[in-house]
Amino acid sequence: MALLKMEEWYDLARETNWTPSYVSEDELYPEPMSNNYDIPLETWETFDEPYKVTYRDYVKAQRDKDVGAYSVKAALARSDFFKNASPHWKALLALHFSAVCWAEFHSASSFARMTRFSRSPGMRNMATFGTLDEIRHGQIQIYFAYEFLKHDAVFDWCHKSSKTENWIIISVRHALDDIAHTRDATSAAIMLNMGLELAFTNLQFVALSADAAKCGDHTFATMLQSIQSDEARHAQVGEPVVRIMVENGKKKEAQQLVEIAFWRIWKQFSALSGIGMDYYTPLEHRENSLKEFMEEWVIGQFGRTVEALGLDLPWYWDILKQDISNFHHANQIGVYVYRATEWWRPIASTSPAEREWLEEKYPGWNETYGKCWDVISQNIRNGDYEKTVPVAPPLICNMCGLEVTGVAGDKWRAVNHHVDIGNRRYHFCSEPCKWIFELEPSRYKGHKSIIDRLFDGTIGPEPDDFYNYMGQSPAERGTDGYEYQWVDGYDEVDDDQSLRATG
Amino acid sequence: MADFPLAINLQGDYGYKVVIVDDSNTIEEVIGTSVDQIVSVLVAPFPEGTILRARVHGANKPLNNSLRIADANFIQMEALEIYVEE
Repeated sequence: MALLKMEEWYDLARETNWTPSYVSEDELYPEPMSNNYDIPLETWETFDEPYKVTYRDYVKAQRDKDVGAYSVKAALARSDFFKNASPHWKALLALHFSAVCWAEFHSASSFARMTRFSRSPGMRNMATFGTLDEIRHGQIQIYFAYEFLKHDAVFDWCHKSSKTENWIIISVRHALDDIAHTRDATSAAIMLNMGLELAFTNLQFVALSADAAKCGDHTFATMLQSIQSDEARHAQVGEPVVRIMVENGKKKEAQQLVEIAFWRIWKQFSALSGIGMDYYTPLEHRENSLKEFMEEWVIGQFGRTVEALGLDLPWYWDILKQDISNFHHANQIGVYVYRATEWWRPIASTSPAEREWLEEKYPGWNETYGKCWDVISQNIRNGDYEKTVPVAPPLICNMCGLEVTGVAGDKWRAVNHHVDIGNRRYHFCSEPCKWIFELEPSRYKGHKSIIDRLFDGTIGPEPDDFYNYMGQSPAERGTDGYEYQWVDGYDEVDDDQSLRATG
Repeated sequence: MADFPLAINLQGDYGYKVVIVDDSNTIEEVIGTSVDQIVSVLVAPFPEGTILRARVHGANKPLNNSLRIADANFIQMEALEIYVEE
């Protein structure tokens, strides 16, 4: 029997919808799970995804991708790549896998909500593929990371991290809970697909994949490519939703959802991809900086997509353009000096040669953030290791959960935004983080940062209480990935200078 | 006498720190505590003779050095900038 061609049946299949008779439309799609934004069902049914795929084709494509990724993994499993990888790359792998594996399951949960509660059958169809994609992404990354566990116990955190109250995990979880886990299907489609996937996954999966290939980590590169090809497809669920809302008088609502999600996820990627690209990628394999990637792929490409959909650029676009040169540099200092609060082995990545690269990519780095590194590196050279860890804990933003930072050194600029509710002060690292809080204080005011928990008695007063609360045994507290040997480069520079001085 | 947490950004540092002081401390003592905790850790020692002042974040005028925290009408975690007087 001859099969129909896809174009002969696809639209009929994807447009077939329920006509509820035993329950009302409101019962079938309760608003907390499926906000219709006062747009009628027949309008939602016009949802038209730009990327069309059938289940048969989907399964075949996914199978081929898995075969490719697992074949490369199997071929390279016998190699000593990991054992011979630099502490730079090991830190990057540990950070990526422990932050991203379980985050994929957040996305699976969100897509599953879209699969059940989206008003449009076409959207439910695409979200079904999205759910399967995200389950695959969680599983493949945990499985690939598991390979490293026999070499390094740090990789236990790829599975463990999500169950802990570590401060970085609290930060990631709060952002994902906000945009993916606790939003109705329509809002989540915009926030997750537009604000996270369309805007940012290129950074972590395409750029990082290229870096991985240059480093010779072909397993990681292949796995990332395999994931990003899914992201590129299912991220497009959000675009038709935005288009329907804009065309039906709900631009303001769609705009706000994009603006909240984009900023929340920018802060996460600033730390994850920013530190990964500008510090953890071995210098010899670095090409573009986070700033350059952001300017091309996010400020450029994503900005054009937003405008093409009939939305405006987010109101904080100029703030973002400044933030891409600052926030992750400040946070890298914090991640290094408070390294015992992290489960991996952070690296400073500020040897003389690396500082040259940072200065080239971020003119003025040496006289700003470099000034803090001058003090840190000098303490290490003097053997004053205790002085490399501040006694005072950092102030944590009550929205993004990362440090409240400004500009360091000679161009010092303190940055702080706050809101007072009752006797509690809420601090924010940026105007957009404060703006998100003020949109819906009742949604956010109950959340406590790790520092709030330290001072309200949730965490006991002894140092071990703090680490125990975060799930970190003594063996799970980060130490310098190079055991401080990175400062040797400073001695060589000093020797060269003194030789030149003496002729 | 009671512990009082303040958010402090000392000139040159990359971000705010939470510094615990006693509410009987003066602003001058708060500056001293902050310098003890941050200088030579993240900020290079200031040249001899440098005068440091404190101000509420975003304010134009410095706080009086003899002002006691208990009398300053601060909320816990008040944000203070400590800066070099020109």
